[in-house]
Amino acid sequence: MMEDQEEKGNAENGIGRQKQVKDEYLLQFLDSLDGYLTLLDSLSSTLSQGWLELASARHAMGASRINGALLDLKVHAAATSLKVSEQDVDSMESQPCFTLCKWASSDNGERSSGEEKSLSPQLRHRNNSQLSGIISSPVSFSHFFNFFLSCEEEKVSTRTGTPLILVDQQQRQKSLSVFGVLVSPKLRSAQLSFERALETLVEIANLHTTMLSMFEQVHKELENTNG
Amino acid sequence: MTFNIHGGYLEAIVRGYRAGLLTAADYNNLCQCETLDDIKMHLSATEYGPYLQNEPSPLHTTTIVEKCTLKLVDEYKHMLCQATEPLSTFLEYITYGHMIDNVVLIVTGTLHERDVQELLEKCHPLGMFDSIATLAVAQNMRELYRLVLVDTPLAPYFSECITSEDLDDMNIEIMRNTLYKAYLEDFYKFCQKLGGATAEIMSDLLAFEADRRAVNITINSIGTELTRDDRRKLYSNFGLLYPYGHEELAVCEDIDQVRGVMEKYPPYQSIFSKLSYGESQMLDKAFYEEEVKRLCLAFEQQFHYGVFFAYMRLREQEIRNLMWISECVAQNQKSRVHDSVVFIF
Repeated sequence: MMEDQEEKGNAENGIGRQKQVKDEYLLQFLDSLDGYLTLLDSLSSTLSQGWLELASARHAMGASRINGALLDLKVHAAATSLKVSEQDVDSMESQPCFTLCKWASSDNGERSSGEEKSLSPQLRHRNNSQLSGIISSPVSFSHFFNFFLSCEEEKVSTRTGTPLILVDQQQRQKSLSVFGVLVSPKLRSAQLSFERALETLVEIANLHTTMLSMFEQVHKELENTNG
Repeated sequence: MTFNIHGGYLEAIVRGYRAGLLTAADYNNLCQCETLDDIKMHLSATEYGPYLQNEPSPLHTTTIVEKCTLKLVDEYKHMLCQATEPLSTFLEYITYGHMIDNVVLIVTGTLHERDVQELLEKCHPLGMFDSIATLAVAQNMRELYRLVLVDTPLAPYFSECITSEDLDDMNIEIMRNTLYKAYLEDFYKFCQKLGGATAEIMSDLLAFEADRRAVNITINSIGTELTRDDRRKLYSNFGLLYPYGHEELAVCEDIDQVRGVMEKYPPYQSIFSKLSYGESQMLDKAFYEEEVKRLCLAFEQQFHYGVFFAYMRLREQEIRNLMWISECVAQNQKSRVHDSVVFIF
């Protein structure tokens, strides 16, 4: 009798733990979905802000100073690259992890290690998202995107001792110099907006893989329950 | 008394052109458009109608700006071909700024290995000259001058920037600003020589232009490699800010210091009072509004050449307005349309 009760108790505990694990996966999935939608919203508003600032810079400086014909076609290394690595999840499966390598070209080979900004996803708190609809830009941004990349202000010294914050500012100015050295502050703001948009894109990519992984976990748990 | 003998017809023409500038009602209609085709439809009822009517959909903002600019070019050419000296020289002076912009565009684009034909398409039509495509072969400023610019109206402005240094982004920027400085000073002296109401009105307008340039150079050079001395050399040697304002602007390190300098000059106090501290986004609009006010005042007097300069600048402002409205409509940002539109009437 006692043994029966003990077995029953163990079984109930086991079911309770399973339910807890299922709820945890479900919560993680919902959180990642919420974060994904929030980031999409944020991306569209950042991009629309960037495009408007670019138009504003064009309005201030003139169309002859800001146009696609000035972009540099000389062969040069990419200002920023994207690294895709495999990240182990629960030692069972791996999912791709995207890392933005800013100023990874040989033009700035003095940067120390550890500068890569890993934008791995985190559980997001439910915050109010920025108000914005999906705004499509009439102009393809592939041309301009590569020229508006810059670094965050991380205070890590390079091997030469020059603070990265100054190196970042120099690289930022260098990328804008295709439009001239004395450019309007509006163009610099547009550059920062596109930089933020690029970081958000990488965050979205990482969150997307997490979301898919969580969805598979939830799906598996549901199948186990039904089976 | 004898102005009307040679200039009367053209003054009447330019005053007629002025009457065709867009009104506040036109801008209100344009600001409510949902698409670029709506803008085209509203503009078809204005003097821009014949220039846009044959453009197929979908329209682009650059197309609207190009066609509106064509109208300005046609009007300018009509006035120029009817003008006699010294009005014809005065009208040519108005286009030298565009010529400088085109030279810099070709040189910069060539430095970036762009196709010359592509660059020529982006040049402003008012600044074109015969040998402009030959600019692409020059490696330094000495060659630029020797091969091409010696036979253009810009030749006298090159004396201060002829070097054998290879062209790079910084040299090109200094060349641009040095040329423009020399052009403004030359235009100013020419107007002084003309005397009378032309000298009086144009002195005010060109001094404002010189001052605005000084402020823009200062703000745009904050945080760049341009030294204080180099910055000082780019300011024009006339204007309300010359010379003491320039000395103070040369050492400014942020927008608030620029504000501190400019607020000492009453005509610019009202401009900077519209801005909040640390903000420079609305400065361009504030300067444009002040410029439009002064340009409109030029039409209050008769028998001077300032009306031609004022008309060209007002049309350029109108085209900027149309460009901004088109961009806001195309990007679905109509709430921001009044950020940069400057009403003329």
